[in-house]
Amino acid sequence: MAETYPINIWINEERFEKLQAAGLAGLAKEKMAGLKVLAIPNTAEQRDKILKLFPMAKFDSATTKSIELLPREVKDRIFDLVIKKKSLDVMDEFIKSQTKQK
Amino acid sequence: MENVGHGGKEIVERVMPKDAAIKRLKELKAAKAKELPVRLQIATEVIDLAYGYFTPLEGFMTKADVESVCKNMRLADGKTVWSIPIVFDISEEELKAKDIKVYDEVLLTYNGNPLAIFDITDIFTYDKKEIAMMVYGTTEEKHPGVKRTYNYKDKFLGGKITLLNPPKINPVFEPFFIPPLEMRKRFKEKGWQRIVAHQTRNVPHTGHEWLMKGAWLQAYGELPIEKPIVGVLVNAIIGEKREGDYIDEAIILSHDMLRKAGYFGDHNHMTSLTFWDMRYAGPREAVFHAALRTNLGLTHHMFGRDHAGVGTYYGPYDAHHLLMSVQKDLQITPTFSMNWLFCPHCGEVTNEGICNHKDEWQKYSGTLIRSIIIDGVKPPRLIMRPEVFDVVMECAEKYGNGSPFVTKEYLEKRTPVFTIEPLG
Repeated sequence: MAETYPINIWINEERFEKLQAAGLAGLAKEKMAGLKVLAIPNTAEQRDKILKLFPMAKFDSATTKSIELLPREVKDRIFDLVIKKKSLDVMDEFIKSQTKQK
Repeated sequence: MENVGHGGKEIVERVMPKDAAIKRLKELKAAKAKELPVRLQIATEVIDLAYGYFTPLEGFMTKADVESVCKNMRLADGKTVWSIPIVFDISEEELKAKDIKVYDEVLLTYNGNPLAIFDITDIFTYDKKEIAMMVYGTTEEKHPGVKRTYNYKDKFLGGKITLLNPPKINPVFEPFFIPPLEMRKRFKEKGWQRIVAHQTRNVPHTGHEWLMKGAWLQAYGELPIEKPIVGVLVNAIIGEKREGDYIDEAIILSHDMLRKAGYFGDHNHMTSLTFWDMRYAGPREAVFHAALRTNLGLTHHMFGRDHAGVGTYYGPYDAHHLLMSVQKDLQITPTFSMNWLFCPHCGEVTNEGICNHKDEWQKYSGTLIRSIIIDGVKPPRLIMRPEVFDVVMECAEKYGNGSPFVTKEYLEKRTPVFTIEPLG
């Protein structure tokens, strides 16, 4: 994955505990004054699919270079998938599950 | 003159006392005066004009003023700096249907209730493309200010306004509506000799807090420090909302929380609002803000990077340059602010003009902060004060149907900031 278009999932205590339990705590990186973030990588193709599935979201090309404004429940589902698969490589499966639902 | 406003003119409220207004309304009704219903933008500008926010303007601009503002950034007197046309638009059909003519005294209504008397002295057309080019520096419709200009109807009415029926400011907002003459009284009571404006449409993170603190220090300058004599006035722009903006309740209450929670205090901080639909005119809007805040009695005005800009239409310091070019004709001192940021090396919020750990800087990004808030994650107190975050989330529950950001539902169901009630 040469270029990624991440989805930032911000880590509160509850999420951090789940990450620790799954042995994934090391994947969370410090972003702002100690606040940790889990950056879920997306290819350009995955990014476009996400933006189509969730029109309220946008790719912030100017500042953060990430996919932003996804509703919390969507990020919760992505996060749960990361914990379940113990991997950040979850977007294909997530998009597939959403496409089926729609 | 006690209350000198922008352009050196005294601030006079054009608001008729209630008894006189009821009597005048009866006379107008008996005389079958022409009535014109107005939309929200015009109603808010009527209120602004009547309370002196737009001093020296006493009403909507005539063609001479619009032309001079567009071409020279001055009113038709050739002296007073003014950067954005304040216009009353009307369609040809409406003009004919109501048979409106120059020198008519028209009763303006809002939501079916009487609002103001409009003494019409000019009916004119104006090239909207020219307004767009001169004010916004572009004719592209995707610029929100240009789009607003193109959406104006084809004719304009100029003339003075007299408010018959003051707005009822609805809960949450009521304590923050402080018109120019009242504002000046409050400043006197506080003993503030210098007051610096913080223009906002956001909930404050610590970068905003430090913009205010930095501007406060800049404004204090050589003044004696034995007792507090300098204040920050947060003046939130409350107007047309777009989906994704912060809800108005969250903006105003979170700023006030900075004072309540002790990050500032009564001795140096006050929150207020001005009704205005942002034009995103960048440099020209900055000049407009300078005039507006002069009228509110402020002595200093903070201007950060890309003030009131949108997209990539304006350079980051264009507003500063335009302000400097007219500084001698303004009665307010601009304080130019560099960006504040978090430096993990320093372990504190610092300023790009001070800190030299450039490779380690963590810059504030509105989008990033919104992303954190959407996740419902409380940011570290060095990024957003916990009391501010709590009040934002409380506003989301109470006023935003669970979201601190404007949604379709919020736009449909929200309590309006003000209402115009029946008069009498």
